[in-house]
Amino acid sequence: MNLNVNGKRYEVQAGTRTLLEVLREDLGFVGSKEGCGVGMCGACTVLVDGKPISGCLMLAEQAANRKILTIEGLATNGQLHPVQQTFIDEGAFQCAYCTPGFILSTVALLKENADPSEEEIREYLSGNLCRCGSYRNIVKAVIASSKRG
Amino acid sequence: MAIGESIPMLDSVARVTGAVDYMVNLRLPNMLFGKIVRSQSPHAELLKVDATNALHVPGVVAILTGEDLGANAFYGAAIKDQGVVAVDRVRYVGEPIAAIAAESSEAAEQAALLIDIEYEELPSVFEAKEAIQPGAPALHMKFQNNIFKHAKLRHGDMEAAFAEADEIFEDTFTSPVAQQASLEPHVAAAQWDGTRFTIWTAAQAPFTVRKALSEVFDIPPEAIRVIVPPVGGAYGGKGHIRIEPLVAAMARKTNGRPVKFVLSRAEEFVTVTKHAASITLKTGVKRDGTFTARQVTIYWNGGAYADVSPMLVPAGMVRSVGPYRIPAVHVDSYGVYTNLPPAGAYRGAMSSQTTWAYESQMDIIARRMGWDPLEFRMKNLLVSGEHFATGEELQDVHFMECLEAAAKGLDLPRPPLRAERSTRVIEAGRGPKSKRGRGYGVMMKSTLATSKSQARLKLEEDGTVTLYTSTVEMGQGGHTTMAQITSETLGIPLSAIKIIGPDTALTPFDSTTSASRSTSSMGNAVIAACVIMKKRLFDLSAPLLETPINELQTENGFVVANEVSISFADVLRRNDLQTLEESGEYSTSLGIDPETGQGVATPHWHQGAGAAEVEVDTETGRITILRYAAASFAGRVVNPRLAQLQNDGNVIFGLGPALMEEIVYDGGQATNPNLADYAIPSIRDLPEELTSVCIESEKGEMHGIGEMTLPPVAPAIANAIEAAVGVRIKDLPITAEKILRALRERSEQ
Repeated sequence: MNLNVNGKRYEVQAGTRTLLEVLREDLGFVGSKEGCGVGMCGACTVLVDGKPISGCLMLAEQAANRKILTIEGLATNGQLHPVQQTFIDEGAFQCAYCTPGFILSTVALLKENADPSEEEIREYLSGNLCRCGSYRNIVKAVIASSKRG
Repeated sequence: MAIGESIPMLDSVARVTGAVDYMVNLRLPNMLFGKIVRSQSPHAELLKVDATNALHVPGVVAILTGEDLGANAFYGAAIKDQGVVAVDRVRYVGEPIAAIAAESSEAAEQAALLIDIEYEELPSVFEAKEAIQPGAPALHMKFQNNIFKHAKLRHGDMEAAFAEADEIFEDTFTSPVAQQASLEPHVAAAQWDGTRFTIWTAAQAPFTVRKALSEVFDIPPEAIRVIVPPVGGAYGGKGHIRIEPLVAAMARKTNGRPVKFVLSRAEEFVTVTKHAASITLKTGVKRDGTFTARQVTIYWNGGAYADVSPMLVPAGMVRSVGPYRIPAVHVDSYGVYTNLPPAGAYRGAMSSQTTWAYESQMDIIARRMGWDPLEFRMKNLLVSGEHFATGEELQDVHFMECLEAAAKGLDLPRPPLRAERSTRVIEAGRGPKSKRGRGYGVMMKSTLATSKSQARLKLEEDGTVTLYTSTVEMGQGGHTTMAQITSETLGIPLSAIKIIGPDTALTPFDSTTSASRSTSSMGNAVIAACVIMKKRLFDLSAPLLETPINELQTENGFVVANEVSISFADVLRRNDLQTLEESGEYSTSLGIDPETGQGVATPHWHQGAGAAEVEVDTETGRITILRYAAASFAGRVVNPRLAQLQNDGNVIFGLGPALMEEIVYDGGQATNPNLADYAIPSIRDLPEELTSVCIESEKGEMHGIGEMTLPPVAPAIANAIEAAVGVRIKDLPITAEKILRALRERSEQ
């Protein structure tokens, strides 16, 4: 089967493995992490056709021929994506295990809603957990990203 | 200069691009996959552990069982009671019995199902207070009453002091077992070449790991190399020794092939926990609002093995008294074995439990005696120059400033509610029967009394500097902080500093990255190394610049005199030196008497405070944290942004034990060992408004602030709830159900 990841096609033997397993083990996209394995923590978030999904819950098979975006595909020509840059500017991470997931969820949120309210941000990002507790700066970073357009 | 600047973490780009090399990403040539086979019984004799069938599974390379272990294969910080895997007997559900190394994780999983284990069940006990009763099953021969540690503090004449009291309050507060729940699990890999180990592990204390492995395998520490990549959260849970002995023992059986273990989320819950605690405070108070005496009795549920508890139980004792002027204090702090997984440090170690107790009782006392809780605290908080219950004189304490700053955070004008706030929130938290209240909490915590940090600086040929440090970067920004301290002290741009470590083969000794000690302890070691390096540079450049040493300075990578300057690289070149290396060390050697608890408990005290404004829905018991303001004493802030992240992070982390976190057991089996049933704070739990500040002092001694604002969270919320609706919760976590039940009980009376 084929996986379309970050604009490139990959031929993979996925079997019954999850999208997260195939991305990490076969294709080396290790920015997404397994945090809980049950879709609660969002550390494995990737965008499939622009929507954030938990890579640990989706079978690779289900993602065949759909557009998959991982954190590795976000920067272009060595330039950080604006959301990545605002996460740095606002100090929106600590251990950063969760950060790729938060950034991808933010990218999806801002595509759907260019100027979200704080309540909408909190609602949208509630599926991503940050145990270090960087939430206040994450909210600031999302707002700053939306202002930058 | 670099200290005091909010520079981003050094590897920020890697952190936002998913490029940080965490342990989970580690792949080594010929690497095998490890899998642990765990006990299904809370307490049993092991009659049989037969790996014959499992060994036949294609892809299985080796299996480790108790039979492989030598007589030394036990570890523990003070009591070596824990086997690398269980030998003869298991003492908790989830205890490792065997381990498998295989070519694939599938093969390892399949083999795990084929290991034949026979148990003969023994009676078990799960609560500390039950485990100390006569007739309770003893877990370890040497400790028939299950008490493996009894720490004592004896200060003043209790009988006389209680006799002076006008009122005596006695209350018991409990905290349940909880889990550190770093998003990165415990991960370790090991390789054995026949004489030497290399261990890669997400751990907070690489030298503790090295020492333990040296003892378990009876080889010199130098034959063990421990490498720690950036860690994806630890919070105490990766302190001490965790899975490394098992992983190393497995690697001894694979003919030199490396083997890696990544724990599942369910395994995390049986690997280390937060001590459940029952804390009884008996406190004598006079009508004038002063204390006469406090007697504290604590039972810490240590789980099945002593682990690091023999150190934490005395620390918890010192941390249980509170930052108040109390003439007579006795504490009995008991570490107790039960048939639960071993407990270890949980962010704000032991203070999370003890602050819950003493700060809750502060409000009980104030309320009953008719005082304002804030004023009652202010009246009794210790100040510099006064003596603590250990007998030591307090220096540089700022409890009042912390509390004032936190309280002030609630008095700031409330921004107007956002117009777009959804109606759902209004319905849930803002019903007509909602009531608001404010509450406060203050904390006082020791760091390690005796510990050592060493740092080595290498000035490279090109004028850049490499700092070798064993401080673990686990999200706190430890490496960035050390770079800033180096930059300022040595006079070199941040961009010219590279950090290496921890790697016990390359980086010098450090006790541990825990107890918020690194900024102070490693920071001072780095300063010492920089001072020596600077002196060397002055000695080497004074003749070149024809300037006396006392007129030289360093700036931006140059040695600078009045009119002339020379770059660090040129100082080396002109002296025919390739590189220059200097080391610095900082250590403290303090402690308290084991019988009386008198002495010096800590090189400095951790200080923090919190203020909460909550709204309680009296129809549902639901709590909304409207505002939370936190303050910690930092001495001198190295990086304000990172400090704010620590302060905020502690408050948010602290909402977990305060409001939701509890491992629920059924017959010793955790019923909620996953992040669906064990909730940790999400962005929706963030207080509507959160503010935090760091207090600095004139003296400017750097303090760590990795924990200070956490312990006040739970009592500040409980106190705010009582202020709002008049009910007192004494057992964590504070759930809507408990509040509703308390409200109903009160209305029935």
